[in-house]
Amino acid sequence: MQSRTMSRRALVAATAAATGIVWSVCAMAQPQADVPTLKGKRVGITVVGTEHYWDLRAYQGQIDEVKRLGGTPIALDAGRNDSRQIAQIQTLIAQKPDVIIEQLGNGPVLQPWLRKIRTAGIPLFTVDTISPSSLNDTTSDNYNIGEKLALQMASDLGGHGKIVVFNGFYSVPVCAIRYEELKLVLKAFPDITIIEPELRDVIPNTVQNAYAQVTDMLAKYPHDGDVAAVWSAWDVPQVGATQAIAAAHRTGIRTYGVDGSPDVVKMVADPNAPAGAVVAQQPYLIGKTAVDNAARYLAGDHQVPLYSFVPSVLVTKANAAEAAKSIAQGD
Amino acid sequence: MTAQSLSRPLSSGQMPPARLLRIGATLLLIVAVGLFAAMAPGFATASNLADVAEQSTVLALLAFGMTLVVIAGGPDVVRGGIDLSLGANLGLCDALYAAMSNAGHGDGTSALVAVGAGAAVGLVNAVAIIRFGVPPLLATLASMNACAGLELVVTQNTVLTTDSPLLGIVAGPGALGLSTTDWILVAMTAALLLVMHATPVGLRLRAVGLHPRAARAAGLPVAAMGAGAYVAAGTLAGLAAIVQAARLSGSSPGSGDILLSVVLTSLLGVVFSRRLQPTIGGTLAAVLFIGCLVNGFQLVNVSSYWVNGIEGVLILSVVALRSLLQRPG
Repeated sequence: MQSRTMSRRALVAATAAATGIVWSVCAMAQPQADVPTLKGKRVGITVVGTEHYWDLRAYQGQIDEVKRLGGTPIALDAGRNDSRQIAQIQTLIAQKPDVIIEQLGNGPVLQPWLRKIRTAGIPLFTVDTISPSSLNDTTSDNYNIGEKLALQMASDLGGHGKIVVFNGFYSVPVCAIRYEELKLVLKAFPDITIIEPELRDVIPNTVQNAYAQVTDMLAKYPHDGDVAAVWSAWDVPQVGATQAIAAAHRTGIRTYGVDGSPDVVKMVADPNAPAGAVVAQQPYLIGKTAVDNAARYLAGDHQVPLYSFVPSVLVTKANAAEAAKSIAQGD
Repeated sequence: MTAQSLSRPLSSGQMPPARLLRIGATLLLIVAVGLFAAMAPGFATASNLADVAEQSTVLALLAFGMTLVVIAGGPDVVRGGIDLSLGANLGLCDALYAAMSNAGHGDGTSALVAVGAGAAVGLVNAVAIIRFGVPPLLATLASMNACAGLELVVTQNTVLTTDSPLLGIVAGPGALGLSTTDWILVAMTAALLLVMHATPVGLRLRAVGLHPRAARAAGLPVAAMGAGAYVAAGTLAGLAAIVQAARLSGSSPGSGDILLSVVLTSLLGVVFSRRLQPTIGGTLAAVLFIGCLVNGFQLVNVSSYWVNGIEGVLILSVVALRSLLQRPG
């Protein structure tokens, strides 16, 4: 017991230290009142896909803000296809826009091409993509998101139980961070174990696939208490998992995810739904903030922080109704 | 489409429909390229056109494979030659290359496994179609599913990042300011054009596809040639996988998405041939046409969503025109 308390203290201390380090190299999203104009500027925007609520809102946030500031967006949606996104980036480099903003995507696939953007002398800003080539990454604090979601789950579970984990997108840096934070938190809760093998969430048909996989898991673990929770790094698999659990009447199981799509926030707000919690981000504001950072850079302010963190909200059964209102106002 | 239906008696001064279609398609290509050159800044530069070729290489290699299969199996879309497994085969071979490379195997072994796997999938298709008489549409649909499943087994549906000297060369610069990938496209096009036009293979393959009974009576190994086309298509998918691995720094899910473009370009390619037949040159023209459309639309800042719609309209137009020309009377 004492060792567990110690490890929790160590965890809190480590988290605090990490937060301090991260804080020193980043800044919270700044107010936008002083954003310079983008008149006469062309802004390349490349995203891997927009079929998910988060992707679309962040993409739209960028396009709207470029237009609002008087610039011309060259907006490119790769339809969730890495080859297409690479081709679009290659052509975008040839177009020589004033700045390029890249949103999400598979880190290892993108890195050589992001490097080429910088080699071509084009400033690069990213949304949710960590890259040494990026001047600034606008994102939620995914370390914090991963930690608070995992702590909420551990708390709801009373510190013990088996959990099903979807880990299909470790190659997406933000998903990897959330997953690693889950593992870090679980070190302090040795009685919570991940069922192996982990599940792989897929794109497309994410909801249907997650529904089928969780249904299979529930058949494999048929007794109450066999499975305590389902965790996923985003909330589209959470939708499928929540529906599968509800359909199987396994009321003791809770689901956890990230993003805060409106339908998932509603599920969390429903006292009878198995959705336990979701961390809601502000994707529209994230996209807008990335453009504002780029505009400041183009106006000569080269002291941009390495990261701009846009606040996120942990939505639980207890605060869902209130949180839903603030999310609607903020995004 | 048969050669006879396109060469029905014409009144004097009337242009054969095949020729009309070919001229129309070529004009469309010239107009589209001309418009982009006039409207899209940077379109007509050598480096941009080299980019288009580089971006088209994977699609071109797969479309060449499809073209060979259609030539050897006959151009009937339902009963003739078709290989729906090419996109999934590409994904499987790419995944195998990345997995082998990450397991510490050298470039030679990894490339051999990737290309060998592609050829093996082609052989499975050939056995199912030629030996057991399964319709190509169904046989290759099944192997497409099998390849997609095997790819998931290898990758666990994740990105496999890899780096190797071979991939560095393929992704790197080549002679005369072109990339090595560009040169791969040039070399494969030249090799296939040579085989199809300067050796008896091309004519025999066409005979096997259009007139199998006559070809058999003439002593041609009809089954072996049909099978050879599927194996060649699979091998091309394996080669394309190495190019894709170089562009993506490994393997990434979603390769199967390319299938529609492969079908489109092999269908569209026929309008660039004299007798509305699938040819390597016609397929290359179709691939580059689609590549120019995608590139040009981006350069003039027209939404990429339009390209999907245009691809669909092109497929429908080509198939409708061919059906119209095939109609008796």
